[in-house]
Order: sequence, then structure tokens, then C-alpha cells
Amino acid sequence: MKRDINSNGYIFLYATILVVVVAALLTAAALWLQPFQERNEKNEKRINILRAAGVPDVNKDNAAKLFEQHCTASFLLDEQGNASEDGTLPLFVIDRRISVIPMKGNGLWGPINGYLAIDADGSTIVGANFDHKSETPGLGGEITTEKFQSQFSGKQIREKGRLVPVEFDAITGATKTSNGVKEMIDRTLEMYKPFFEKLNP
Amino acid sequence: MSQFKKLIIEPLRKTNPVTVLVLGICSCLAVTAQLKPALVMGASVTVVTAFSNFIISLLRKGIPSRIRIIVQLVVVATLVILIDQFLKAFAYDVSKQLSVYVGLIITNCIIMGRLEAFALSHGPWESFLDGLGNGLGYSLILVIVAVFRELLGSGTLLGYQVIPQSFYDAGYMNNGLMMLPPMALVIVGVIIWIQRTRNPEMQENNQK
Repeated sequence: MKRDINSNGYIFLYATILVVVVAALLTAAALWLQPFQERNEKNEKRINILRAAGVPDVNKDNAAKLFEQHCTASFLLDEQGNASEDGTLPLFVIDRRISVIPMKGNGLWGPINGYLAIDADGSTIVGANFDHKSETPGLGGEITTEKFQSQFSGKQIREKGRLVPVEFDAITGATKTSNGVKEMIDRTLEMYKPFFEKLNP
Repeated sequence: MSQFKKLIIEPLRKTNPVTVLVLGICSCLAVTAQLKPALVMGASVTVVTAFSNFIISLLRKGIPSRIRIIVQLVVVATLVILIDQFLKAFAYDVSKQLSVYVGLIITNCIIMGRLEAFALSHGPWESFLDGLGNGLGYSLILVIVAVFRELLGSGTLLGYQVIPQSFYDAGYMNNGLMMLPPMALVIVGVIIWIQRTRNPEMQENNQK
């Protein structure tokens, strides 16, 4: 007897089996691949921190070793800018001189993030690094390029002890992403302000 | 043999998914501001169309027609996510390039269009080739549009400076309009125009 492939029973059975098979497949793949993915993400984070701080020739093979060499301390800051166990603001110190702070913000389609490296004087930007989850390639996605990131080096975040807005060239056709970057930098610097004042009042 | 060859060659020309069927336009606008993302997107869509066509064609006799669209979507989405997960684990750099396209690939109407129009009524091997052909046809248009947009919009190709500095010194300026999505539509329109002028049999006969 031939099955009727348009009967309700068959459709229900077919959909159930399909979903169970697909779910099992995806779960298995996710569980199996998770350790590899986490290792890659951790490595990526180190690469970004080192690049923001201007360490030359960082690639995915030497990142772990260079991070050991250059990252002299990492701790959490509280709202007064003191290192504290209960702090919420992470900070990485590179070569005992440069403070690298992580930033999180919103682009056009999804979250953007980055690292900003500030020199020992608490006001000069050494370098910046941006990444994104889903900005449009060729437009908002351009924030990950060397060309966009290099313009931050040497800019001042403070003048006469007060925060000044960081000015940079936005990307044509990517106004929302550029605004997101600006908002992210300004908000993060505001949070870290007490720390920079302690570095150099 | 010639029939199989036809399955790959025809979508590059007379049955091109972008210029003739006018599918996949939205992703064509999104990723053609530069050549590199266009190449990545073209390659990804080609792989996904080929394999989803293959899988759906294997399943075609058992799929209830009332839920076939859902089944197709599930297969395509699973395929794309699996590929992305593997790349994330073993080729992180490629995955970072691709991550933004994942959503665009799943919703690409060329994939669904080929599943509906071809894979449901043809064998697995033919469907695989059809998917390959249509993916390549899509990539071809993407690359043409991206070359124009990147060259005229930023003066570069694949990130390398092509237009010499002396041009800029002499007063030449990049056309910022090329960086905006509407220009992709204009270029696709020009390609369709040229194609139809060269192939009069493709023009609709409006005078009855």
C-alpha cells in the first residue's frame, strides 16, 4: 500500500522527525566544536588588545606568546577608578605603560565592540581596534580596517584635565555605524574618567 | 554530457538569476560596495545552492507538498549554520568574513527559487549542477557590479589602489555615489539593458 504523503498524520510525523534530526545534528555540532570556537575567540581577543596597543606583527599563531610577554597586568576597576575585586571595568596593562580598555556599543544592525589603548599620560590614544557582528560589508564593516583604525593614534582624550570628545572621519554611507562608534568611545571614556585622572591629574 | 554542461553554462547567460529572473537583488545591493565581500558572498551562495539543491532533490519524493517551503527553509538554514560553526572552529578568519552574510544567504531568494523550480522535480546530480550554475551566475553579476562600484567609488580593487595618485593630483575625485546602494541597482539595470539589446529574443513583445 502506498502512503499518502499529504495526509495530516504523515505531515505531522515528517515535520517532527525532521525537526528532531536537525536539532540533534546542530546540538552535536555545537557541543563538539565549542572548545575550538572558544579557543579561537580568546585568541582573537588577545590579538585585538595587542594590536590596539601597537605591538607589531601580531598574528594568530604568536598571539598567546606575545600576550604573555607584553601584558604586565590585568585587573578590574571600580567606579572611583581604583583596582578592586568587585570592580566592573576591565583594564589590561601592556608593557607597564599603556592601558587598554574594552568598549561595547551598537552599530546599525547589531553590537560593535573594540579596544582603546591610552598612553601613560592618561590622555593620548596609542591605538584603537574595532570589531562588529553584523555591519554591512564595505560600509559599516569598514570600521575593522587599518585605514579607519589608524586615524585614532595620537588623538587626545583630555585637555587641561577634562575629557574632550574624540573627533574622527566617519565612513561615507555608514552614518549609523559611525555614530555608534562615537557614542561607544564617549560613553566608555566617561566611565574610565576617574582612572585617567588618577594616572595624570 | 552536453545537457549537464548546459545546466552550468545557461544560468551564466540566458537564465541568469539576477539579470533575467531578477532574484537576489537585495543581497546584490548590500555586498557590492567592494570586490572582496562580493567574492565571498558569491562563493558562499554557490556552495549553499548546490548542496541544498542536492539534499532537497534526494528528499523530494517524501516531502509533503503542503509544508515543502518550511522543509526547504529548515534544510538551507541548517546547512548554513553547520558550515558557519565549522568555519568558526577551524577557519576563524574566514568565519569572521562570512558571519555577516549568514542571514543574507538563508534569505536569498535564488536558493529558494531553485529549490522550488528545479530540485523538487529533478534528480540529485542534475540539481547539484543547476545549483552550481545558478550560484556562479549570481556571482558573475555580483563581481561585475562590485568591480564598477569599487573602482569608481574608492579607486581600488580588492583593496589595492588602481587609479594612480597623479589622477587625483590632476583633480580626479572618487564618486561617492557609487558607495551608496542605489548605484548597484543602476549598474544591474545597465547590465540587463545591454544583455537584452544583444539578445532581441529576450525582449517582451508589447505590441500585439
